[in-house]
Parts: sequence; structure tokens; C-alpha cells
Amino acid sequence: MAKIAVRGLTYLYGQGTSTQIAAVKNCSFDIEEGELVGIIGHTGSGKSTLIQHFNALLKPTEGQILLDGEDIWKSKQSVRNSRFKVGLCFQYPEYQLFEETVFKDVSFGPRNMGLSEKEIEERVRQAMTHVGLDESYFNKSPFDLSGGEKRRVAIAGVMAMDPDVLVLDEPTAGLDPRGRDTVFSMIRNYRNKTGKTVVIVSHSMEDVARIATKVLVMNHGEIAMFDTVDNIFSKGNELIEMGLNVPQITKVFMRLKEMGYNVNSSVYSVEQAKNEILRLRGDIG
Amino acid sequence: MIRDITIGQYYNGDSFLHKCDPRTKILMTFGLIVAIFLCKNFVSIGIMIFFTVLCVAFSSVPVKMYLKSLKPLLILILFTAVLNLLYSTGGDVVVQFWKIKITDKALFNALFIIIRIICLIVCSSVMTYTTTPTMLTDAIEKLLSPLNVLLKPFNMQVHTLAMMMTLALRFIPTLIEEIDKITNAQKARGAELDAGKFTDRIKALIPIIIPLFVSSFRRAYELAFAMDCRCYRGGEGRTRMKKMKFGFRDLIVTVLFCAAAAGIVVTNIKFGSVL
Amino acid sequence: MDNNFITFENVNFRYESDDEEVILPLSLKDINLKIDRSEFVAVLGHNGSGKSTLAKAINAIIVPTSGKVTVCGMDTSDEELKYRIRENVGMVFQNPDNQIVATIVEDDVAFGPENLGVEPDEIRRRVDESLKEVGMYEFRNFEPHKLSGGQKQRVAIAGVLAMHTDAIVLDEPTAMLDPRGRKDVIDTVLRLNKQENKTVVLITHYMDEAVLADRVIVMDNGRIIMDGKPSEVFSKVEQIKKAGLDVPQVTEFANELKKCGVAIDSNILTVEECVAQTEKLLIRG
Repeated sequence: MAKIAVRGLTYLYGQGTSTQIAAVKNCSFDIEEGELVGIIGHTGSGKSTLIQHFNALLKPTEGQILLDGEDIWKSKQSVRNSRFKVGLCFQYPEYQLFEETVFKDVSFGPRNMGLSEKEIEERVRQAMTHVGLDESYFNKSPFDLSGGEKRRVAIAGVMAMDPDVLVLDEPTAGLDPRGRDTVFSMIRNYRNKTGKTVVIVSHSMEDVARIATKVLVMNHGEIAMFDTVDNIFSKGNELIEMGLNVPQITKVFMRLKEMGYNVNSSVYSVEQAKNEILRLRGDIG
Repeated sequence: MIRDITIGQYYNGDSFLHKCDPRTKILMTFGLIVAIFLCKNFVSIGIMIFFTVLCVAFSSVPVKMYLKSLKPLLILILFTAVLNLLYSTGGDVVVQFWKIKITDKALFNALFIIIRIICLIVCSSVMTYTTTPTMLTDAIEKLLSPLNVLLKPFNMQVHTLAMMMTLALRFIPTLIEEIDKITNAQKARGAELDAGKFTDRIKALIPIIIPLFVSSFRRAYELAFAMDCRCYRGGEGRTRMKKMKFGFRDLIVTVLFCAAAAGIVVTNIKFGSVL
Repeated sequence: MDNNFITFENVNFRYESDDEEVILPLSLKDINLKIDRSEFVAVLGHNGSGKSTLAKAINAIIVPTSGKVTVCGMDTSDEELKYRIRENVGMVFQNPDNQIVATIVEDDVAFGPENLGVEPDEIRRRVDESLKEVGMYEFRNFEPHKLSGGQKQRVAIAGVLAMHTDAIVLDEPTAMLDPRGRKDVIDTVLRLNKQENKTVVLITHYMDEAVLADRVIVMDNGRIIMDGKPSEVFSKVEQIKKAGLDVPQVTEFANELKKCGVAIDSNILTVEECVAQTEKLLIRG
């Protein structure tokens, strides 16, 4: 059974008014347990609207979201459960920090779940380990931290709910390369350790390629592709037509292929590209 | 919803009234508000309605927009009307059921209050729809500039107040958007905002208000830097791109307004009061 | 006329701490720098490397703790000259929302020249001209909050242009934008440099923006560690990575191949250059 199953999901903004816009149109797909799905698409493609359905922040105009096979809008209880089962971390999550100490802020989610103090503390410790911040941070004010640290505390605040599915909207937006790499390795470790399902929304094909097992491409509110990373990159031209940025190295290999060279044009990392060239030279030589 | 409130919004256009001096429009709006409450009989209120319709026509703003500005205040209008209907004294009883007596005077009172409030809202909407907030604050600054003499001992300028107004208007939509974002983020962490006792609900607002404050201070700080970098040094030595000039159009508006006001005063004296 | 537009001579800078006991480390260490008129300089560095402090020093927002910064021969430490320096060097900040002052686009662009006391008709002319320059003329009557991030940044750039400054300093102008917004802003900056001969100092942590500059300065720990043409700077892959930055994929690719003993020119930055180099390998092979 799929962890999250989306069935015929349509969402209209400003329904019934003259400015009605379909942000998501008739989408259906399954996210399996333990997968790391990257959702890409340019601004306005509907990706942020889509993920806000996973934890019932938005109610589908049409269609269903099934969590473990159960419609999340079935009852008031199921709606509330979905908030904790699907941990959604918004873009620039550091702006949601509000408590006096890091510990208190990270414990906000677990506390809302009605857990005991002991469980709460356990959850907070766990989450802080996931984001690589030690105990010395517990009593600091979140507002005194650096930008990257704030981001990690905010993500810990969502991880502390111990959700089955962790959804991150642009988790690396605005970070420098070092901050970006830290967040990505943090997410990778989290998944390796917990085996939980993770969904990451991003503008960047390159970033998604580095981390995802499957990629969902959104375009004009519809699902344009949903496939493994390799298969997605073999359709480079289609991605470019949708206004997505394909990694530089992919472009190089697409160009070479167009020129008639027998290269694999679905490479997206430097490592792959290097091996491809060495292989070809080995073949020739 | 907070987004439905259209008062204070600008409607892009190029009409007769859009081109008028904002100072004329402000003064006229204040004049109209006074005039509205002077109307005491059907002839004078008729003149008032006619003038209001004239304003709407010359604003080239769709009637739909005016209806939109009335919508959020509908309940208030009806409530006031019902109060007037029930609690006005004097006059002849027209309808009576159970203990409630409705007199003709009460009916007139209710009717007049409805018309007055509608005229009031429509007239102020005419002003805001046809004047950009910047023009409006500039005009207020100009109109209030004589006060600079009074403010001087306190080391203040009318300009400062006008600038504060502009910045407030500029940042209201940004902050509304921000409240939305923070609310969603806290909801995603299981915050319940619309359940429980009153005190619980107030407490539930803390996770939204604090981040909002923090980000507002950050915005204010950055904005101050940005303004300083663009050589902002207060009102002195500043020029304006959009000049305000009392022109031919303003003369027409003023004459029409004076005629309407005179008409209202004269008919009030001539036909007496029905209230 | 002296061609040195902006000069730094032995500049050190230390932020003052709120706590008098604490002495913060130097944010700028022994900076010597000359930027010529009409040059396009990218300043690259990770967060906290001192690159934003450098930008602030140019615009007299901060004054060196020791050493001297001059703009057009004017010393930034002279309080009297502060606004004259800012008439020459305009600044665009990271957050597009927090630098737009007015409720209508064209009023915002007029803000700078209004502060300078320019005649109304002249302001009108400058505002229209500047908005056309950045491709935002048809949005002149829009309210800022109805624009996208990239559009807001272009309005901010127009606001600087309307002051008729000779130079623009942009402090991470694209950090909060989506790929499309980033491209629009960078294209605009490039055009201003190439066609209008504006001096541009672009502070960024995106290497794909830095490669477009005439000159790249890399900062780390408050010091300038590299300074040169993009192709020279980026060919030092290891050093760049050590500074917490990315290199273009193609540069890294060529560098990796070189390490494997393949004869390839690693001074490449663009897809075109890489295709040409790789093709040589495949033919010769």
C-alpha cells in the first residue's frame, strides 16, 4: 500500500470568483514508503499547493488524499492525525521560530501532540541529533543563532513530531553552498537512520538529482513526469521546454549527442560525466 | 475576511476625478460628510444622492467596486437602521405588533440613516479609488503643513507623519501575507487556532505574533538602511515627481460641490425637517 | 580623470558588540582593492566571509575601523560626503520587500531622485527611462506586492538608476529569488554594465552569476583570497571548494579528467567551451 496516494486531486484558488485559477489539475500518483521524492517545477507550477494537501492544510476541491489508504478528510480526527503523520516544513522555516529557547521551540510540535514531558524531551533530543546540533544549543535563544543554524532548528521542530512523511519546501533556499550541503547531508542521514519517507520541493534539478530516488515534475498544475532520476534526465529537452534548469553537464552531453556522438545524455553529475568520457575513450583507444 | 475590505484601495484609471488635485478631493470628501448629516428632508437628500451618483459617474470606477466596498459594512448598516426603527420616538404610529410600535418618524430615520451611511462610504471610496495612497498622503502633508510651526518645538514635521502613513500602507499587504505564512507553518506543527476556550485562543496566537514582531523589526531595520542609501534625509529639500496643481477640473468640482451644498442648506430651510 | 573608481587601502573593520566585554573578530582584514570605472566585479564568498561588509563599506553604511575607502576620491569616513557618495553608488539589497518604500511602482522609483531634490519633470523622465531600462515600464502603476520577487528586485534597480548613479552595488540580490527571477535580474545587471557602462559590484554566493563578471574576487574569513578573471579563479577548483563555494560543473569536470591524465584545458566555464573541449577528446581518442 502506498504511503501517500493522491487520487484525482484538483484545487481551485478563488473558487466561484472571476479570478478562479486551477493551481492543481487532476493529479494522481503514489508515494511509496521509504522513498525520497523530489518535486520540481517553476514558480506557479502548483508544487507548493500540492504539498499543502498532504497534511490537510488545504482541502481538495475535487479528489482525495489517502494516507496509509485512509482518506485524510474522513473525520476531524483524521485531519488532525495527518498534521502529525505528515510533517510539513515550509520555505524559510526559520521565520516560524518564536520560543525563548531552542529546546522549547523544537518541543512545540510534540507538545501539541499531547505527549508526556519525558516523551517530548526524547523527541527533541532525537530531532536535534538529526540536524546535527548538540545539547549546548538547547538553552540558547533561537534568535541568536546564525542563519544556517536557525534553519536547522526549524527543521528539527518538524522532525520532532516524528512524522511518517517529512515534507520540505525548498529547504535550502537562500543558503550558501556550504549551508546547502549541510542541509542535504542532514536529510540524507535522517532518511538512512529512520527509513522514513521524505518529499523535497525544489527549483533546482541539480539539487534534486543529488538526493532523490524519484522525481515528480509539475508543469501548469499537472504532473508532467514522475519517474526515476535517470529516466527524468534522459528527457532533458522536455525539461528545458518547461523552463526548468537542467544541470550544465547534462546540457554538454545533450549537445554532444545531437552532434552525433554516442554518449549517454542522461548524466547529471560530474562523476558520471567523467566516467562516461573515460569509458568512451577506453572503447575507442 | 481582511482581504475583502476595499476601503483605502486605489483603482487604476484616467478619469476626470483621477486627474483632480488630491487636496480638492480630500476637502470635498470632508465637506460631503458634513453635508450628508445636514440633509433633513427628501429634497436635500435627493440633491445629496444626485451628487454622489455624479461623483461615481465621473470616477470611471465600475459600480461593482462600490458595491464591494459596501459589502463588509452591510450588517452595520442594517443594524443601525433597525436600531433607529425601534428606538426613535415621536410621530404617528404606522405599524404595531405585540409591544413594538413603528412610527413614521422612525421609518424616515431608518431610511435616512441607510442613505447617509451608503453616501458616506461611496463618497470616501470615490476619493480612495481615484487617488493613489502616495498622492493622498502627499496631499495630507501639504494640507497639514501649517501645523509644522506647532510641531517644530517637538522636533517633528508633518512630513514624518505622512511618511509613516505611506510606509504603513505599503507594508499592510506584506504583513497580511506574512501572517498567512506563519499561521500555516504553526498549523503544520499542530497548533490549534480555532478551538478551546477564549484564553486558549489568545495563547494560541503567541506563536504567530512573536515571529511577526521579529520579522517586522527586521523589515523596519532593513528598510531604514535602504532609505538612507537612497539619500532620504526627511522632508527638507525633497521634491515630488507628481506635482499638485489646482486646475480647471478642480474649479469645476469645487463649483459643483458648492452648488450642491448651497442647495442642501436652502432646501433644508425651505422644506423643514421630516426627522 | 582618475580611473580608480572605488579604492580600499589597508582596510580593517570590526563590528561592535552590544556587550562591551566581548570583542568581535575582524569582519574585514587588510583589504586592498581597486575597482575601475565600468568594471563588473563579482564578490564571491560563503555567509560570514565578509562580502556583505565589503559592500556596506563602499556605500558608507559602515566606516573602516582602520584604513581608508574612497569612492570617486571621496573618503567614506567623512560624514559630510556620505550622501554625495551615495549619489554615486547605489545599493540593492537581498530582500526585495524591505527596500520598496512606496505603494506604487513608479512612486518608488521616484523616491531617490525626490530625495536629491531633482525637478519634477526631470524625475518623471528619469523614472520612465529607468523603468524601461529594467523592463518594468508596463508595471509602473502596479502595487509592489502584486509583483514577483524578481520583478521587485528590478524595480529596486530602477530606483538606483533613477538617481543617475555611476555604480551599483548589489548585495546578494538573487538569494531569495526563483531561477527565472534570478535570470531576469542578472540579465538586467549585465545589460547595464555592457550597454550603459555602469560599474557593477555583485555580491553573491552563486558561482554561475560570478562567471559572468569581468573579474571575480573570492573572500574567506574577512580576507580577499583570490582576485582575477573568472576562468583563472575557477580553474583552482580545490581552493574554491575549500572556501565553501561551488565551481561550475564543466570546470570541475575538466579538472577531474585532467587529474585522470586526460589532456584537456580546464580553464573553461561555459557549456559551449566544454562541448568544444570534449569533442576534441572524442575525435582524437
